[in-house]
Amino acid sequence: MLTLIRIELYKIFKKWRTYIGFIAIGLLVPLIHIAMLIEGERTLNFMTQNIQQSFVFVGNLLNGYLVSHITLASLAVHIPFLITLVAGDLLAGEATSGTYRLLVTRPVTRTQIIISKFLAGIIYTNLLVLWLAVVSLGLGIILFGVGELIVISSETIIIFKQTDVLWRFALGYGLASLGMSVVASLAFLFSSLVENAIGPIISTMAVIIVFLVISALNIEFFSEIKPYLFTNYIMSWRLFFDDPIDTTEVMKATGVLVGHITVFFTSALIIFNRKDILT
Amino acid sequence: MNMKKIILLMIFFAASLYPQNKEPDKILRNVVNNFNRVKDYEVEVIIKVDVEFLKVPKSSAKIFFKQPDKISLKSDGFAMLPRNGFDFSPNSLLKGDYTALYEKEEKIDGRVLTLIKVIPLGTSSDVILSTLWIDENKNVIRKVESTTKMSGTFIIDLEYDEKLNYALPSQMIFSFNIDKMNFPSAMIGETDTRKKRSKMGGDTLTKGKVYVSYSNYIINKGIPDSVFEEENP
Repeated sequence: MLTLIRIELYKIFKKWRTYIGFIAIGLLVPLIHIAMLIEGERTLNFMTQNIQQSFVFVGNLLNGYLVSHITLASLAVHIPFLITLVAGDLLAGEATSGTYRLLVTRPVTRTQIIISKFLAGIIYTNLLVLWLAVVSLGLGIILFGVGELIVISSETIIIFKQTDVLWRFALGYGLASLGMSVVASLAFLFSSLVENAIGPIISTMAVIIVFLVISALNIEFFSEIKPYLFTNYIMSWRLFFDDPIDTTEVMKATGVLVGHITVFFTSALIIFNRKDILT
Repeated sequence: MNMKKIILLMIFFAASLYPQNKEPDKILRNVVNNFNRVKDYEVEVIIKVDVEFLKVPKSSAKIFFKQPDKISLKSDGFAMLPRNGFDFSPNSLLKGDYTALYEKEEKIDGRVLTLIKVIPLGTSSDVILSTLWIDENKNVIRKVESTTKMSGTFIIDLEYDEKLNYALPSQMIFSFNIDKMNFPSAMIGETDTRKKRSKMGGDTLTKGKVYVSYSNYIINKGIPDSVFEEENP
């Protein structure tokens, strides 16, 4: 199985489109950091203008942790689009290039093939999120240093000690990775249905956009289905930047995301095992 | 004749029981003079903020003060202090022209304190009215209640270390009302506006307290002006 995964990873990283995500993050994150370097002080003053009327404060609040937190909040919704480029191509790409039949004639089961492809897709997804974490946090710390993290939500302002931040980022990025893995799983499922990679990429993006719109609309009709939409949990990494952490919500988000991955993967597995390979 | 004597005695007795009308300006001057024995000081502070919507870890910092009004807060990490409680010196509380009125005496924690109302003159001051609870034995302010134009009413409770020979507090409790805030949702990635609205709904004014403990005073040892040059927010 490990060999199969290695082969799939080799195939993924042989395609230039795999690097689009890494390049996009590698360009976008430094741009955000440069913008924060120029405008950060003003942004922070804007964020804390009410509190500054009542309090005098000292310390480096404009630091790598804050910039990284803002970056993650800004990009978490957009990274799925980069993931679908690769995950949507995992199975359909074989059909497009005419290697499907060759692939299934090898002395491995279809289940092994699909598991290895799926795991390779998940590894790619996690590497992309890891790359975001490394670039965002690494560059942020180099440019802005470290300090307490100020997190402003709709109803609270929380300032975390700098010693209390890194583990939150680790778990936050972990949960963000899980959310992105759902996107990869969905694209993978769509990829098992068609024979052209464009279809799964566009379909996954369409689903994400529709779900995000439904999540954003405050209409009673949608409130019943919202808890079941995975897009509702893509930003759940923010739960780790609350005090105290709502563990019930974290468990719920984790459960819903894992549930989605399981359903999407199982569906893809069933579809692929029953698929009449003609290309 | 006997009746007149009795009445005079009663008036004399009543007058001796009735509190004398004190001189508020003199009392305040004594407090200011007592504080002015401090030319400068440096003190370590531990700050605990207790505000419903503001979660801040307990922080430590240093406050530097130099007469007449130089003050600076410095910390290796993050620290925050209420603007109105930052400088508790009588000079700061009584700056500008004002009218002082003696109100009464009040016994708090076994101490007889003199209540003086201070009304700033003119329109430039943010403070509309301050009430000072003054311990005339020590010539220190033990409590301040101020009503401001912009920040509502705040109360400062001051405790002093009996061993310290200066009018510098060992603890301050700053109580105030503060507005809950509306934050730009795009900045924080907030998408669930319904949740936001429901939680923000109703009264946005909330009470808060800041506890400041002062320790290791270094008094009248001289502080260079360069310490205050760094801009305080």
